[in-house]
Amino acid sequence: MVVADLRHQRERTGWRVMSTIARHDESSVLPPRPTSGAQPDTDRIKIRIDAVSKTFDTDAADMPPVLGQLSLDVRENEFIVLLGRSGCGKTTLLNIIAGLEVASRGAVHVDDVVVVRPGQGKGVVFQQGALFPWLTAEENVAFSAKSRGVPAKERAALCRELLSLVGLAGAERKYPFELSGGMQQRVAIARALALDPHILLMDEPFGALDELTRIEMQNELLRVWAARRKTVVFVTHSIWEALMLADRILVMAARPGRIVLDRGIALPRPRSRTDAEVIALYEAIWASLQ
Amino acid sequence: MTAASVAARASSARDWRGWTYPLLVIAAVLAAWQAAVMAGLLRPIQFPPPLKLASSAVELVRDGYPEGIGLATHVGITMQRIVLGYLAAVALAIPLGLVIGWVRVLDDLTDPVIAFGRSVATLSLLPLAVVWFGTGEAAKIFLIGYGCFWVMLSNVVAAVKSVDPMLIRAARTMDVSGVALFRQVALPAALPRIFAGARVALGVGFMVIVGAEMIGTIRGLGALIMEARTFYRTDITMVGMAVIGVLGLAIAVGLERIEAWLMPWQAREARRRT
Repeated sequence: MVVADLRHQRERTGWRVMSTIARHDESSVLPPRPTSGAQPDTDRIKIRIDAVSKTFDTDAADMPPVLGQLSLDVRENEFIVLLGRSGCGKTTLLNIIAGLEVASRGAVHVDDVVVVRPGQGKGVVFQQGALFPWLTAEENVAFSAKSRGVPAKERAALCRELLSLVGLAGAERKYPFELSGGMQQRVAIARALALDPHILLMDEPFGALDELTRIEMQNELLRVWAARRKTVVFVTHSIWEALMLADRILVMAARPGRIVLDRGIALPRPRSRTDAEVIALYEAIWASLQ
Repeated sequence: MTAASVAARASSARDWRGWTYPLLVIAAVLAAWQAAVMAGLLRPIQFPPPLKLASSAVELVRDGYPEGIGLATHVGITMQRIVLGYLAAVALAIPLGLVIGWVRVLDDLTDPVIAFGRSVATLSLLPLAVVWFGTGEAAKIFLIGYGCFWVMLSNVVAAVKSVDPMLIRAARTMDVSGVALFRQVALPAALPRIFAGARVALGVGFMVIVGAEMIGTIRGLGALIMEARTFYRTDITMVGMAVIGVLGLAIAVGLERIEAWLMPWQAREARRRT
């Protein structure tokens, strides 16, 4: 089984080298992708989603796939938001990027290496309930630090630092059941950061929170992101959330799961909901969802 | 005041009521019972009144029943049998259940066997137990162990299978897999349900004991009950029942304490619900 995995990986890697060469040829011919003013730190491609299709075993034969030949490039330190209705495949796409699910066809490359499994610097924040209930806030963060080999001595300091970064100084010794939903998600973010990930994948992380907490958490996330630049892929079905957070919004439609709108947002943060450009974007996104 | 301290205060208030009200209910039932017998509504031979039970309990402690075998001996022997059978069952069922629950193929293979083993009423094995182990201690401990084992096994398997897949996924994003994944994530996540199973299994042990002590002994609470029945000492039978009930309750409370100590992360509410 291990041998088979390795062989599989080697095959995929070999193929990767060839496809990278092909890509380079392509990019020298094609003009750079127009981006309406987004300002990522570099233009380096961090995540390359290459014609990814996904069908579930349980799907009827004549059913369009969950994801149909979806391609997308995410640049380094870019904050992208995948927006769409339930069932449009946005979470499936996120899971494939995370390595938690396998694409039926196509592949996801991170730093030009094909993703074959979770971990390896891809931090994930789930919607809710993914904290280990038997560990305190601090221990949850330490668990993740330990998994990437941070020595025990440095772990305590790292946990304190990350928990205070997400605004939880003083709650280190609390168990998840003692924390509100918003505080639990803060721990989840700190835990993902403890992996020192270069990519942060967030699957509706604030979806279960009340609206006021949600707005607070969005601001917190932007603050944290400003302090620790990462490439972020954020899944939501809230148009406002997308507008407040994203460098670039990708609106998805279902069956086959595909991108129907790709819009960069150059506005500085924090953004106002009454800004004329924000309202115009809201309308454009709403129209694309119809 | 923090949310946690509010919760603690509310639950201590519930504990206070939790003990007072049931005791009041029991006292009321006993009083009504005594009154009904004295008024001639209930026959004393069928429903020995509480005051008679109290004097029988004193007799049982002082003189013993049958003569010379005191309550302490009965309790001691019974507890020894239950504890031995129970511990053997738990010690076998936990490792086995963990492996079966974690390995899908094993679960598929053993699922019907476990359902079968659970369904065989323990006391229907009594004749076989005598054939295999004779009428000594081994047969009794075997019966208790058998009853506890299947309940414990099916609970441990279910505990591992019902671990939230979200936790497994979360751990996998942290490069945790294989044995570490089982030990650091699946095991602690399954612990509350394993404990719930341990409590149910203990209850089964107490249910089986009376039957198991029907064979070849006059010592033990089950034997006491059978012996008293033979001589129409309904009062002694009832005292024996009450003692078994109190023992079961005491052990359940003890287990709950151990549980709270082992798993401080479990909210009180959650523990009550399991």
